[in-house]
Amino acid sequence: MATYKAPIDDMRFILHDVFDAESVWSSMPGTAEMSQDLADAVLEEAGKVAEGIMFPLNRSGDEEGCQFDDGVVTTPTGFKEAFNALAEGGWTAFSGNPEFGGQGMPKSLAVLFEEMMHSANCSLALYPLLSNGACLAIDAHATEELKQTYLPKIYSGEWSGTMCLTEPHSGTDLGILKTKAEPLADGSYEITGTKIFITGGEHDLTENIIHLVLARLPGAPQGPKGISLFIVPKFLVNEDGSLGERNGAVCGSIEHKMGIKGSATCVMNFDNAKGWLVGEENNGLACMFTMMNYERVSIGLQGLGLGETSYQSAVEYALDRTQGRAATGAQNPDQAADPIIVHGDVRRMLMTMRALNQGGRALAAYLGLQLDIAKFSEDAEARAQAEDRVALLTPVAKAFFTDRGLDTTILGQQVFGGHGYIREWGMEQMVRDVRIAQIYEGTNGIQALDLAGRKVARNKGASMAALIAEIREWLGTEKGKLGDLSEQLEEALVLAETATANLLEQAQEDPNAINALAVEYLDIVGYVLYAWLWARMIAAVDGRDDEFANSKRITAAFYYERLLPKIHSLYAQFKAGSKNIMALAADQF
Amino acid sequence: MPEYTAPLRDMRFVLHELLNVDEHYQKLNLEEVNAELIDAFLEEGARFASNELAPLNRSGDEEGCQFNEGEVTTPKGFKEAYQKYVEGGWPSLGGDVNYGGQGLPSTAGIAISEMIGTANWSWSMYPGLSNGAVATIESHGTDEQKATFLPKLISGEWTGTMCLTEPHCGSDLGILKSRAIPQADGSYKISGTKIFISAGEHDMAENIIHIVLARLPDAPAGTRGISLFIVPKFKVNADGTLGERNGVACGSIEEKMGIKASATCVMNFDDAEGYLIGPENRGLNCMFTFMNFARLGTAIQGVAHAQKGFEGGLRYARERLAMRALSGPKNPEGPADPIIVHPDVRRMLLTAKAFAEGGRALVYYISQLGDVVQKSTDEEERKQADELMAFLTPIAKAFLTEAGLEAANHGVQIYGGHGFIREWGMEQNVRDARISTLYEGTTGIQALDLLGRKVLQTQGASLRNWTKIIHKFCQANAENDAVKEFVEPLAAYNKEWGEITTAIGMQAMQNVENVGAASVDYLMYSGYVTLAYFWAAMAATAQAQLDAGTSEEAFYKAKIATARFYFKRILPRTAGHKGGIEGGLDCLMELDEEHFAF
Repeated sequence: MATYKAPIDDMRFILHDVFDAESVWSSMPGTAEMSQDLADAVLEEAGKVAEGIMFPLNRSGDEEGCQFDDGVVTTPTGFKEAFNALAEGGWTAFSGNPEFGGQGMPKSLAVLFEEMMHSANCSLALYPLLSNGACLAIDAHATEELKQTYLPKIYSGEWSGTMCLTEPHSGTDLGILKTKAEPLADGSYEITGTKIFITGGEHDLTENIIHLVLARLPGAPQGPKGISLFIVPKFLVNEDGSLGERNGAVCGSIEHKMGIKGSATCVMNFDNAKGWLVGEENNGLACMFTMMNYERVSIGLQGLGLGETSYQSAVEYALDRTQGRAATGAQNPDQAADPIIVHGDVRRMLMTMRALNQGGRALAAYLGLQLDIAKFSEDAEARAQAEDRVALLTPVAKAFFTDRGLDTTILGQQVFGGHGYIREWGMEQMVRDVRIAQIYEGTNGIQALDLAGRKVARNKGASMAALIAEIREWLGTEKGKLGDLSEQLEEALVLAETATANLLEQAQEDPNAINALAVEYLDIVGYVLYAWLWARMIAAVDGRDDEFANSKRITAAFYYERLLPKIHSLYAQFKAGSKNIMALAADQF
Repeated sequence: MPEYTAPLRDMRFVLHELLNVDEHYQKLNLEEVNAELIDAFLEEGARFASNELAPLNRSGDEEGCQFNEGEVTTPKGFKEAYQKYVEGGWPSLGGDVNYGGQGLPSTAGIAISEMIGTANWSWSMYPGLSNGAVATIESHGTDEQKATFLPKLISGEWTGTMCLTEPHCGSDLGILKSRAIPQADGSYKISGTKIFISAGEHDMAENIIHIVLARLPDAPAGTRGISLFIVPKFKVNADGTLGERNGVACGSIEEKMGIKASATCVMNFDDAEGYLIGPENRGLNCMFTFMNFARLGTAIQGVAHAQKGFEGGLRYARERLAMRALSGPKNPEGPADPIIVHPDVRRMLLTAKAFAEGGRALVYYISQLGDVVQKSTDEEERKQADELMAFLTPIAKAFLTEAGLEAANHGVQIYGGHGFIREWGMEQNVRDARISTLYEGTTGIQALDLLGRKVLQTQGASLRNWTKIIHKFCQANAENDAVKEFVEPLAAYNKEWGEITTAIGMQAMQNVENVGAASVDYLMYSGYVTLAYFWAAMAATAQAQLDAGTSEEAFYKAKIATARFYFKRILPRTAGHKGGIEGGLDCLMELDEEHFAF
């Protein structure tokens, strides 16, 4: 059976021992109240919520799914009670702005909580996570009045939020979207159009649902520069804050999906629905982008979270299931066979999962801290640096977490053999649930394009050079703690530099190069980053000889010896350029 | 919407132009089969797959099999399609002519297996499992057993199963517990529980013949104490009519990730009457004689899902409009360009295409070896083909199913969010593909078979059989400038493959754990190089046609362009697997079992 226990020891290790998060928090007024002790207490409690409230509903939620009946969506049994428990515990306000009732927790802590939620029950997790996205956009761009009206109730969990972007003909390419907004005399707008793939678009968890909708004003320029952002509540809100009449935003149907079946994915029909402009006219996409980095990291964590649950479940099975004998002789002679964890290839699968999960968790925390610095630091230069780092690494985190999440959940399923294919064991659900994370919130192909084009090529590799310089600087001071790894890390950095230079060179001559090479480039960056983070973990256990520290060293060695070599094959694929991809005519396929 | 159009042109390319089956049949003196007959089969098979089976694929997935008190109902239309399949004579293509079969070689049916599998993998498993039972009885049954069971299995009136796995034993069959007690009349009473039995119970045929592994009383422990039995669902009277119900019943069916229309059964044997097949305690050996055929059947599944991911992805990539080509609009009248203009979409399509077409060549080639094993009168030639087949089969099974799963995932990804929605059929392709790296021996087990049993136990001889063929091809084409870009790197990889093998062999002598530590990376490396050979050979074949002034220039140029993509963008993955192998054992075995939980 699937099993999950929040990996709090590893989370604490990463926050405190690897990154000394407390010193970062205490240096900034916005996070100064956070301390190591408080963070530990929050993690403990969060672990209980994930393990005790969310995880028990994971499989039943998948089996039952959401039900649609005449515009009404019913979530699986227990979801409403669990959501209420999250709300009552203040968990729906976790990252919210304290001015409006949010808890103001730093993102460096939120990423760990979000990982736990995805591990435990990503379908359920998506409801509060989408609300977070809506709140971030409102908080950053809406008028004071709109903030007062909506933020406190969404933070409290009384209401929830959605992001309505995609339309039947436009997903990746939002520039061609058609939903219309007509201005009314009272300053509000009437929104009309069809949105699809709206997560949490309709459900029975909260009394109101606040949609953030992208639409075009009359006469707006074509393309992405003619899109505006609107708040459209399911129920209009009276001046006293009570709920008024039903607005013209109705769920037309829900999708039947491969996974995340407990999450309602809705077709939303807006029919002269009343809405209010958020931010400036025609600036809607830019408003969405301001919180995109937060959201992309959160969705990336779905890959990491499910990878962790899959790993824990596979370890338990591998210790329990007896099959075959160890190659070096029976380890369990009293029984007919040895537990399968004795087999080299089973260990290869488990170690791969472990190395990727723990490396990923370190990247999440690193990125969380950078997001905190970018938001809260009083030092303009530090903010600018952190913003640059966030912009560079967010697409890597989103795509690499989720691509590796598919890899790891498939490995976890593989450890179970045929049983992994049977629903009862829960392993196949993780594969089905993680599969969407490579697609939504910008497909991983789009993330790679964002990295290679916008983040690297556009500034001629300056952001990447700054990252590599930081890693080199770190390596310079910590080298003594790393043994052989320091040389291998330096080699990996050189390869990342070479790949970046090669990308820039190819891009100058060939407009197709960036799109053709982006996925391999992103993977190279991802593997090199994990190499650095594993080195940081090794440096953090320097001088320790306890079991935890030793297991870190062993896993780091595995990562360097068995996974990092992939950068060489990725680079070989990469340097061949785009020709082999563009040669075939469309009708020759 | 998902539909299926058989890639007939490519199938003919592989069978006629690459493998030249006509000449091959003549060499084997097979007068009953020739290129014309193969082409007729292709046309008919394609029609059956597209018209009868493809329309049932998604409905079968949605409906699944139903279980009610021992009875299993297959999804709507499955039974009728099976009836047509039987009436068409399809089940009997390869069967023994003495028992109503058509006695055709494996290559005559291989494309049909691919077509029905791509159209509807779940459905194809019912006749597919029968093949295993037929092969076992043909090879090891007594004349009486053959006369009793083969004609109806070959005609398709009855179906068969293979009952190996038990709740506590899957990969490790040595510890199985089902028991067989000898009876005075020479039969046996079989008792025990088998799980994961595909087509163990269903409503498509009037009788089901189970091939069951069980232990005789006092049989030695382990793999040498296992015997093989025939256990029919209904006993068969002396006149061939069905007699009383035997003590075998379906206890439940599994709720699975995919292949939902294929009934995966728990089978309870309770003093069921069974008949020993083959010698006592030699059951596993008997199974091995057809294991290669069964594994080849699963290798086809890899090709099928790659083909389906490719076809579905291609259809969508040509229709769906999003963004503009980086080099300027390609569809200026429309609001955006079709996504096939985007390099990253092409990368996914070409990857799926390269796996599907390369995999097809590999599978059909192995099938051709199977023809030699079955039909050749030259014992030496048979032995060589058998050894080569034994070597290539685990590569084909594991590598192609891994590749099929990857390609199926690309199919989903090309559709973006729509790929995740059931209606479009692409997510079903992933769910159905996922079983293929698990059953018929997991990827890990195939890798151990390849590296341990096939390569190291023969001191590398079985590998050299194959690398010699690649080497000869490279030599023969060394002066051919048009394919130099493929032949040169292929020759280098072929050499490196030998070196990697030698290095592992040395390490294995010091510590046998090294085999398990290297095995999956080794298998994947082997798969990429093997497919590189087929891509180089296909490019050479295509080039020869172009040189000869073909009228199908676009087709052959597409082959060469796809070969180029494979060599530049896929084959370099070998470096990562080589690095993984060289990473060695220590980093795998060092972590204490208890510490995995940290």
